[in-house]
Amino acid sequence: MATTTLNPRAETYQRSWVLDWLTTVDHKKIGILYIVNSFFFFFAAGILALVIRSELAVPGLQFLDEATYNQAFTMHGTIMIFLFIVPVLSGFANYIVPLMLGAPDMAFPRINALSFWLLPVGGLLIFSGYLFGGAAAEGWTGYNPLTQAKYSPGPGTDLWLIGLTLVGTASILGSINFIATIFKMRAPGMTLFRMPIFVWTVLVTAVLILLATPVFTAGLIALFIDRNYGGSFFDPNVGGSPILWQHIFWFFGHPEVYIVILPAMGVVSEVLPVFSRKPLFGYRAFVFATVGIGLLSFSVWAHHMFTTGFVFLPFFSFMTALIAVPTGVKFFNWMATMWRGKLSLTTPMLFALGFLSMFLIGGLSGVMLSSPAVDFHLQDTYFVVAHLHYVFFGGSVFGVFAATYYWFPKMTGRKLNEGLGKVHFWMHFIGFNLAFFPMHQLGISGMPRRVADYSPDAGWTVLNSMSTAGAFLIAASIFPFLINVVATFINGERAGDDPWEGNTLEWATSSPPPPYNFDRLPPIHSERPLFFLTHGHGHAADRPADVDETPEDDVERRGGAE
Amino acid sequence: MTDATVGYLVIGIAIVFVLGLVFALSSREGRLQQARPTPPPGVHLPSGSFLPVVLAIGAALLGAGFAFRPQGAIANLFLAVPGFVVLVGSIFAWVRAAGREWRESEHAADDDAAGH
Amino acid sequence: MTTAEPQRVELPPPGRGRHEAGLPTPLVGMLLFIASEVMFFGGLFAAYFNARAAHAGAWHPPEGGELDMPLAAVLTAILVSSSFTMQFGVAAIRRGDQRGLRMWVGLTLVLGVLFLLGQLYDYSRLGFGIGDGIFGTTFYTLTGFHGAHVFGGAVGLTIMLARALQGQFSTANHVAVEAVSIYWHFVDVVWIALFTTIYILR
Repeated sequence: MATTTLNPRAETYQRSWVLDWLTTVDHKKIGILYIVNSFFFFFAAGILALVIRSELAVPGLQFLDEATYNQAFTMHGTIMIFLFIVPVLSGFANYIVPLMLGAPDMAFPRINALSFWLLPVGGLLIFSGYLFGGAAAEGWTGYNPLTQAKYSPGPGTDLWLIGLTLVGTASILGSINFIATIFKMRAPGMTLFRMPIFVWTVLVTAVLILLATPVFTAGLIALFIDRNYGGSFFDPNVGGSPILWQHIFWFFGHPEVYIVILPAMGVVSEVLPVFSRKPLFGYRAFVFATVGIGLLSFSVWAHHMFTTGFVFLPFFSFMTALIAVPTGVKFFNWMATMWRGKLSLTTPMLFALGFLSMFLIGGLSGVMLSSPAVDFHLQDTYFVVAHLHYVFFGGSVFGVFAATYYWFPKMTGRKLNEGLGKVHFWMHFIGFNLAFFPMHQLGISGMPRRVADYSPDAGWTVLNSMSTAGAFLIAASIFPFLINVVATFINGERAGDDPWEGNTLEWATSSPPPPYNFDRLPPIHSERPLFFLTHGHGHAADRPADVDETPEDDVERRGGAE
Repeated sequence: MTDATVGYLVIGIAIVFVLGLVFALSSREGRLQQARPTPPPGVHLPSGSFLPVVLAIGAALLGAGFAFRPQGAIANLFLAVPGFVVLVGSIFAWVRAAGREWRESEHAADDDAAGH
Repeated sequence: MTTAEPQRVELPPPGRGRHEAGLPTPLVGMLLFIASEVMFFGGLFAAYFNARAAHAGAWHPPEGGELDMPLAAVLTAILVSSSFTMQFGVAAIRRGDQRGLRMWVGLTLVLGVLFLLGQLYDYSRLGFGIGDGIFGTTFYTLTGFHGAHVFGGAVGLTIMLARALQGQFSTANHVAVEAVSIYWHFVDVVWIALFTTIYILR
C-alpha cells in the first residue's frame, strides 16, 4: 500500500515564511496571495478614483492637466478590472473550489502558482508606464486610432499591451486549471448536479475566460504590431480598420463582464441559503441560467458599438435584452430562497442583500441601454459610467466583500467582528449610492464620460460634488474594514470548523484546513452534503438529491438536533 | 538625465531592494516544528517550487524587452534575451521536475499493483 | 452541536474512482489549452477576413511581392506527413514499441524543423514585409504566429525524444506523448486552414 506521499524533500522544520509563500503550490496559500495582491491593486486604483473625483468635484482644472487625467481614468479602469476584480474572485475560487469538491488541491498546482505570479509582474509592468513618460491614457478600452503610435507615442501604451498579455495568459492558465479540476477531481458521489452553485459559476466563468481572453490577446498583439512594426491592422491610412479593434475588443470585453459577475453571483448563491436557513430555490434553474448567460454572452458584444453605424442593431439589441432573462430567473430564485426563511443579517448576508439591490439597478440601466434608441443618446455619457459601476461595484465588489466576511473564518480560523463589519457595510452602501446614483442624471443631462473638466454653466456641478462626497465616503469605509482585519488577526474571536452552519464541504474540515484539505469526507448524496451530515438521520442522508426541503423540515430538524 | 534613465534607475533600485529584503528574511532561522500533518494514503501533494516565480520574471523581462523597444530594433535585447533564456530555461526545468515527480508517484502505484 | 457521531467516509485508495474514468487529466489540460489557442487564431483570422472583405477585388501582395504557392504546397505536404509520423509514434508506444517511438518522433521532429526552415526561406524571398500594407501585416502575423507554434511544438518533440531515448515511456505510461501529439495535430490543422485561406481562397 502506498504510504503517505508527502514529498521526501519537505522539511520537518519550518522554513522562513517568505520562502514558503514564494514557492507554495498549495491552492489555499495561492488563493490568499491572489486576494492580498488584488486588494493592493484595489487600493491603488481606488486612489486613482479619488484623484478623478477630486478633479471633477467642481468645474475648472484644479490639480491635473488633461493628459494626467486621461492616465488616471485609464489606469483606474484597467487595474480595477484586470488586477482587482477578476483576480480576487479567482483567489476565492482557488481557495474554495477544491474544498467544495472534496479535492486535495487543484489539478495542476504548479501552473496554479504560475498563474498567480504573472499577476504582480504584469501589474507592475502596466503601472511602470508612469515612470517612463506616462502610463497608458486611452481608456481601458484602448480604442484606435488614439492608441496608434502617432497619437500615443512612448512606452506607456506598449507596457499596457504587454502587461495585459501576461495577465491574460495568467487568466487562461487558471481557467484550464479550474475546468480540469472541476471535471476530474470531484469527490466520490459528487455528480455535476450536486456541485455547489459557486462551483458552477466558476466553471462557466472559466469557460468564458478560456474562449474570450485569447481573442483579446490576439488584439493586443495586433495593436502592438501596429504601434511598433509598421502594422496596418487598425490604421485606416494604410488599409486597416479602427472598427476591427472595437469588434475584437468587445468580443472579449462583453464575456469579460460576465466573467466578473458570475462568480459574485455564485458567492451570493452560497451566502443567501446559509443565512436564510433554507436551501437554494431552484438549483437546476440556477445551473441552466448560468450556462445560458455564458452562452449568450458571446452574442451581444456589438451593443457597445451601436453608435458606430456599422452594427446590425436589431440582432444585438434583441440578444442583449434576452440575456436579462436568465439573470431575472436568478433574481426570482434568490428571493424565493429567502422567502419564509429565517434570515440572520450577518455582515456577509448584508453584502449579499446589497448585491441584490445594487445589481438590480445596474441590470435595469443595462436593459435601458440595450435599446438603440436610448443608447444613441446615452452612449459615452455618465449614464454608462453609472451603469457599469452599479454592476461592477454594486454587483461584483459587494459579492467580494460578502465572500470575504463569509470565508474569512475558514481561511484564518477567526471571525471578523460583526460590529465593525456592519459599520463598513453601511458606510460602503451609502457612499456607493451617493457616488454613483447621481451619475444617471448627469448622463441624461448630457455630461460626457472621460472628460477632465466641464462648464460651470452646464448645471452639473451639484451632482458632481455629491458624487465626489460619495467617493470619499467609500474610501472612508475601507478603514473599519482594515481595522477589523488587523484586529481580528491580533485577537479575533476563534471560529470552529463550521461557524455559520454551512451546507457545503469546505465547512467539513478545520479552519484553516490542513494542507491536504480533508482527512475524511461526509457521504455526498445532495448539493448540501454538510447539511445532511450535521442534521441528517440515516434516511435523510439517503434521500435523493432533487427533493426540495420545506422550511418546516429545517426548523424542526435543527430544533431536534440541539 | 532623461525620463527613461530615471525610470531604469528606480526600477533597478527597487529590484535590488526587494531582492535584498527577500534574502535577508529568508536567511533567518526557521523554528523547529513538529512534523507536518500527513495526508491520507494515496494523496500526493507536490512540493513547493521556485519555478513559477522565476518563469513569471523571465516572461516579464521578455515582455519588457518588447515594450522598451529602441527605434529600429525588434526589441531591447538587453532585456529580451535574458528574459527569453530564463523563460525557456525554467520551462525545461519545470518539465524535468514534473516528469520526475510523475515517475516517482507512478512507480509507487506500480509497486502497489505488483504488491497485491 | 449534533449529538450522534456523523457518518464519514474514508477517502478512496489511489487508482480507483476519480482518475480512472474518462480522459487522463494531462490530456484534458492539453485539450483545453488547444481550445484557447483555437480562439487566439480565431481572433487573427477574424482580422484577416475583416481586412479581406474591406478590400475585396484588390486583395493581393504589395508591389513587387508575390506568394510562392508551390513552396507553400511543399510545406503543407511536409507538415501533413509529420502528423502521420507523429501518429505512428503514438501507435508504437501504445503497443510498447520503444524503438518505433523514437524513430517516428525523431522523424516528426525532422519534418517540423524542415517546415520551419522552409517558412523562413519563404519569408526571405517574398519581397514584402509586415509593414507593407494590410496584406503584408495580416500575412506575416498569421503565418508568423503559426510558425511560433510550430517552434513550440518542436521544443515539445525534442523533450519527448530525449525522454524516449532514456526509455521513460511505456504502454501504460506515455500520456505526455499523447498530449504532444494532439498539440502537433492542432498545429497541422491550423496550417491547413491558413493554406486554404491565404493561398487557395486568396
